[in-house]
Amino acid sequence: MKRRSIFLALVLLAWMTPARSQSGFAKLEGMWSDPPSTVVGSFCFFSCTDTGIEQLNKLLDDPANDSLPANELIGRAKVFEGAYIKGLLTQEALKHYPLDPLKDPGYTRCEPWGLARQMFAPHQLEIRQRGKDRVELLYGEWTARRTVYMDGRKIPAGTKPSRLGYSVGRWDGDTLVVETSGVAANIFGVAADATLHSAELRTVERFARSADGKTLMLTATLEDAATFRQPLVLKKIWGWAPDQKIAAYDSCELPAESKTGGKR
Amino acid sequence: MKRFHRYVLLMLLPLASTTPVYSHHSFSAVYDGSKQTTVAGVVTQFRFVNPHAMMSLEAKDASGKIEKWIVEFDGRLNLSNFGWTAESIKSGEHVTVTGNPSHTESNRIFFIKLVHADGTTLVRGALQRNSDIEEDRRQRARERDQQK
Repeated sequence: MKRRSIFLALVLLAWMTPARSQSGFAKLEGMWSDPPSTVVGSFCFFSCTDTGIEQLNKLLDDPANDSLPANELIGRAKVFEGAYIKGLLTQEALKHYPLDPLKDPGYTRCEPWGLARQMFAPHQLEIRQRGKDRVELLYGEWTARRTVYMDGRKIPAGTKPSRLGYSVGRWDGDTLVVETSGVAANIFGVAADATLHSAELRTVERFARSADGKTLMLTATLEDAATFRQPLVLKKIWGWAPDQKIAAYDSCELPAESKTGGKR
Repeated sequence: MKRFHRYVLLMLLPLASTTPVYSHHSFSAVYDGSKQTTVAGVVTQFRFVNPHAMMSLEAKDASGKIEKWIVEFDGRLNLSNFGWTAESIKSGEHVTVTGNPSHTESNRIFFIKLVHADGTTLVRGALQRNSDIEEDRRQRARERDQQK
């Protein structure tokens, strides 16, 4: 009788675990896009940090700033955040900081982004289940496609570095956790805060839907001893956008009008 | 600074940044978000492409000489979200376009607003978001003041 109870308990546990995963997936599956048009949503349009959000809130809470445009405060908080991120960079990373934007192959040669930028790409992110053991992350920007293996496998040792790396995932309650390594050296960051990262980059992304269902929050931890003095945690917000579709990114042209020598 | 024909109106006005953090490249490295330039002329080409759409424009300077202008936009992906198509701006049409001037190249601006010959306008998508963002900010201020 006792054995039978234990067996039933194990069967029940085995049944409940995938059920909880399916519940988590049901909450995340579908199309996400630009964040809500709020101050914080705008601040986290590409990526943001808790430090930056805290600074933004300080500025918003100061009545002396009420006469300033919201974008002015967002810009000030971004400068503050940029200094914070710069302070986490190694000497090696600082050699390339800030990266000359006109040397960015994404801009000058239509070369798709690497993982460290793609995961924060603006506009659409579609989350789809592929079979029982895979999740796909599809991005509007560059129509990038990432496969996340959910079958419990480990990232194979010696994985050849690629632009978007090798990703494995699991459910932590209703949160999708994606671990990635095997990422080729590329650009980290955007605009004036960009630099280079090494092929040692490892990331952990946690995707969670808000309680009201309207937003998706990414909390990404980036580790790369050659680039960051300590793990860097970045966030990003998407808004629920079931009516949007990802169009072919088939019209990328070299900006022939661009010359070199952007002002630093 | 060059002098321009009456059809080429150059205005340098203080302007708060229109969320340049969205760009693929550093906006401030290439463009001056604190200034605006307005130029009127004939569109010679509009390329609805990624990563950024581009428009070529011909306008007359003060001496009547034709000058070529380059107008850079957000990317096709972003513009599409606001309903733009490749036909939103047509070659051969006369337009008046306002943008932030380039630090490094003369006759080059980043798009803020375009007025067609019939008076209809196109504005940067970020500007459409801005009014919502300002309302959110005002709401936060009201809530903050109520808590006092």
